[in-house]
Amino acid sequence: MVDYVSNSRAAARARRREAAEVASFVRRLDWILLGSVAALVGYGLWAIAGITHHDVPGNQGYYLTRQSVYVVIGVLGLLIATLIDPDLYRTRWRVIFGGTSFLIAIVLLAGPIRGSKRWLDLGFFRFQPSEFGKVLFVLALAGFLAERSRRLHEVRTTLTAIGLASIPIFLVFLQPDFGSALVYCAAVGAVLFVAGTPWTHIAALAAGAVALTVLVLGALPAAGVPILKDYQQKRLTSFLNPDQDPGGTTYNITQSKNAIGAGQLRGRGVDNATQTTLNFLPEHHTDFVFASLAEERGFVGASLLLMLYLLVVWRGLRIVTLARDPFSAIVAGGLVFALLFQIFVNVGMTMGIAPITGIPLPFVSVGGSSMIANLIAIGILLSIHVRARARR
Amino acid sequence: MAKRNLSRRFLPPDPRVAEPYRLTPQLALRVGILGMLALAIFATLFLRLWSLQVLNGAQLLRAAQNNQRRDIRVQAPRGPILDRNGDVLVTNVPGRAVQIWSSDLPKRRGVRLREIRALARVLGLSANQIGAAIRRHRHDPLTPIRIKDSATRAQVFYLEERAEDFHGVQIVPAYLRYYPHRELAAHVLGYVSEISKEQVAALSGQGYRGGDTIGQTGVESQYDRYLRGTAGLSQLRVDSLGRPISLVVPRVPAHPGNAVRLTIDIKLQKAAEDALRYGIDRARNSGCYGCWNSNGGAIVALDPHDGAIRALASYPTYPPSLYVGRVRQRALDAAGLTTRTAAAMNYPALDRGINAAYPPGSTFKPVTAIAAMQEHILQPFEPLACTGSYEKNGTTFKNWDPNVNEQMTLTTALARSCDTYFYQVGYRFYGMPSNRGPRLQAWASRFGFGQKTGIDLGSERSGLLPTPDWRKKTYTKKTDPTQWRIDSLWKPGDSIQLAIGQKDLLVTPMQMARFYAVVANGGKLVTPHILLDVEQPSSKHSPGRAVPTSPPPAPEPTNVDAQALAVVREGLFQATHATLGTSTSIFGSFPVSISGKTGTAEKKIDPGDGIFRTFNQSWWCGYGPSDSPDLVVCALIENGGHGGDAAAPAALKVFEAFFRKQATQTGPIHSD
Repeated sequence: MVDYVSNSRAAARARRREAAEVASFVRRLDWILLGSVAALVGYGLWAIAGITHHDVPGNQGYYLTRQSVYVVIGVLGLLIATLIDPDLYRTRWRVIFGGTSFLIAIVLLAGPIRGSKRWLDLGFFRFQPSEFGKVLFVLALAGFLAERSRRLHEVRTTLTAIGLASIPIFLVFLQPDFGSALVYCAAVGAVLFVAGTPWTHIAALAAGAVALTVLVLGALPAAGVPILKDYQQKRLTSFLNPDQDPGGTTYNITQSKNAIGAGQLRGRGVDNATQTTLNFLPEHHTDFVFASLAEERGFVGASLLLMLYLLVVWRGLRIVTLARDPFSAIVAGGLVFALLFQIFVNVGMTMGIAPITGIPLPFVSVGGSSMIANLIAIGILLSIHVRARARR
Repeated sequence: MAKRNLSRRFLPPDPRVAEPYRLTPQLALRVGILGMLALAIFATLFLRLWSLQVLNGAQLLRAAQNNQRRDIRVQAPRGPILDRNGDVLVTNVPGRAVQIWSSDLPKRRGVRLREIRALARVLGLSANQIGAAIRRHRHDPLTPIRIKDSATRAQVFYLEERAEDFHGVQIVPAYLRYYPHRELAAHVLGYVSEISKEQVAALSGQGYRGGDTIGQTGVESQYDRYLRGTAGLSQLRVDSLGRPISLVVPRVPAHPGNAVRLTIDIKLQKAAEDALRYGIDRARNSGCYGCWNSNGGAIVALDPHDGAIRALASYPTYPPSLYVGRVRQRALDAAGLTTRTAAAMNYPALDRGINAAYPPGSTFKPVTAIAAMQEHILQPFEPLACTGSYEKNGTTFKNWDPNVNEQMTLTTALARSCDTYFYQVGYRFYGMPSNRGPRLQAWASRFGFGQKTGIDLGSERSGLLPTPDWRKKTYTKKTDPTQWRIDSLWKPGDSIQLAIGQKDLLVTPMQMARFYAVVANGGKLVTPHILLDVEQPSSKHSPGRAVPTSPPPAPEPTNVDAQALAVVREGLFQATHATLGTSTSIFGSFPVSISGKTGTAEKKIDPGDGIFRTFNQSWWCGYGPSDSPDLVVCALIENGGHGGDAAAPAALKVFEAFFRKQATQTGPIHSD
């Protein structure tokens, strides 16, 4: 009886405490980040609706429906990621690292789809591990660096981190998914940078990266040892001189710039955007989605998208400063920078100021893996924010 | 217990980490740098976006619009070809052509092949032909490939209705050449066909593009620049696969080609062609040796005053309509227009009037006569023996008439075409000092032999005027290993035979007509020409007008002595009027006085059985009316026997048509 009373009181207390905790949890969410991501996803869906309006004859909402399904799954992922304590990742970074590398590796073993081995066909869904790998990779590396946080000044730590990172990067590069490999590289740099790797190491790494670029793009092909496939090489360098071959390698970039320019200030609307509707702009719902958006919605619409991105990046960087532990900070830094890098390379590519790589535009390009992985990344950021050291 | 509970708790009150995290200044700096980088990146993107959309927006919008614009060359209707009276020789009929834009065909091989097969089935072509046409144009993806010139209405409807299944296939208006008189003047008119790759390469500077129609021979080729007009331009909007998404909008109208008026007269041309067939028939029916082989010939009718061609006939001939629309190889084969069958059909494509050379035989004698008088080795009234044969240095040269034995003056010798008389004259040329060169050839050259006449009708032969130098150059150790020492010398026989137009001498009927024009017009060498004028057709915007053309070269004086000319003219008059004149029986009764000379030229010919035999080529050249000539006619019948047998009657038919008068033949023919 007493027991019962005490139990029921305890239960009531526990319920109250739980309710308070839930309320606190909800309060501590970064509502600006959540709001801007929601706006981004909503805006992306609206843009996709317009861009793919004429793509599938007789089914105007084909891509919109699919993308909406991905968004629903992604939001679930976001919620779960928000609930999970990042510490879970920290203690299990070895599992995460092994799992990521394994997933990417089995894609290589599975059959190629559209000439490259990026996808795992799960029947109902084509799963692209390298997209999820972007998130998992950051978690694993951050775990490693957090573990060695006292020995960051040692060269060995940095070299080990690079060595670890190079395994999935190499696997992704073999797929071949050069764009994702670049994103991974950027994430490695950001993770090391935020973790507090000494400046000398970072300078050495930067020098090494420059030397590698020169070697891969210039010196080795000249010496007869091509590392990149010919089309990759052309895509990477053609943006530097786009007029040399408007029909071939630079066709996409020329059409993309025409599309963006044709949008002018206000955009041409869904029905008049001939670059998109008449298919002059290839891949306009995936890699070149920004160009289509700019054509249909103009400078106003495109800037709105960039503003939303800026908002997300700002909130992400703010979370880096608020994180309760080094691991969370490193994770936040890596995720935000990877996002920033993808935005720059994709948008820059459509405007002719970055090399052509197959990187999707986060939250906008049609594609399940990318959308879900990016939403999960936002969930992790939110989770870090919720458990932040100090707020306000 | 508490620790266990922690993991169940929803939120940890305190980070469970080995080392609490502190935002050190160093880290703050790093985050700050990342923030700066982010700002810089976004600033770059914004500026670039501004530059593209706002600063360069208008220009890029134009580029985007041009993307979907496809220019279509609109072929201009080709100008008609008229005769001197404005009657139509060639004109156009409208048709619908089917063409392919190779760049717009389906990219996938299987789909493309299926489309080509379907197209072939609809148009009644073979898929291989279409494939070959596409392959031929594979280096030029921006020019449509015309695969059928004249599609039927049913085919056009079918293709237009199923345009979705025929990507890259287009139906355009086309103009097809139409020949109301069928084979008439085929060699003069020539034919048109699609421009070849080599022609595009050579003529692109003059505005020719792939897919254009261009004249290939005859007047069509010679005056293509007047006939072809100016192509127009239409525009069409297409999607990225080249599928049309708008109607064709005309931008620049096509200007139709100009009308080209020729100097020939349809009636006279028809008469000449009929005369040619008549002459050949006569030859075949005459039963003379070799005349069963008579199957070709040419008639040239020339205005002696200015060289205007009144008729130019060549036989065998062909209908130029074989080249209209899709050219069927089998039809060309059957007409003898391909290398495979040309020889068996006696080369119907050959314009024998200007592009074939024959020994002239006795029609050349007036040249010898004038040259001899001019060189003062022969007096017109000096009697020379005309005998059955003439012997020089152990070689006997025969007269065509073995029974004759009398003294003749030059006029009689011309009238009766005495060979032995001219053998003696030829030998006199041989005896002339060599320091002034060969004189007979010099005069022949002055009258245009051995050189092109300069006619405005494409390829022509210059013939062969043999000289001692020519012998030396032609017969060398290399070309003639056994006999070259003898053959390279100019021997008396060469001069003797040249005097009667035999042995190596080769002339075209046009050259011969040109020389008789010199005799007819009193010593002027005319340049034969076919173009009368060019007229721009009247249109909505402008009335018809004559287009300035370069006039034909003026007749050149040959400085031939009027006395000598008068003797030759008298000789030619007697040849058609004196009792024993070689063509008196043909022309003697004609109401208009005609002067002219027969010729029987020996030519070694393989009639098709591999054995060369000497056959007579029948010639007649002359003019009328005798005292003020308005027309020169030169007729040649291959293997036609004596000149009076075939060529002279054929020539008479032309005169009959020209003067609109009939002749009645009297008496037996006594001709060489």
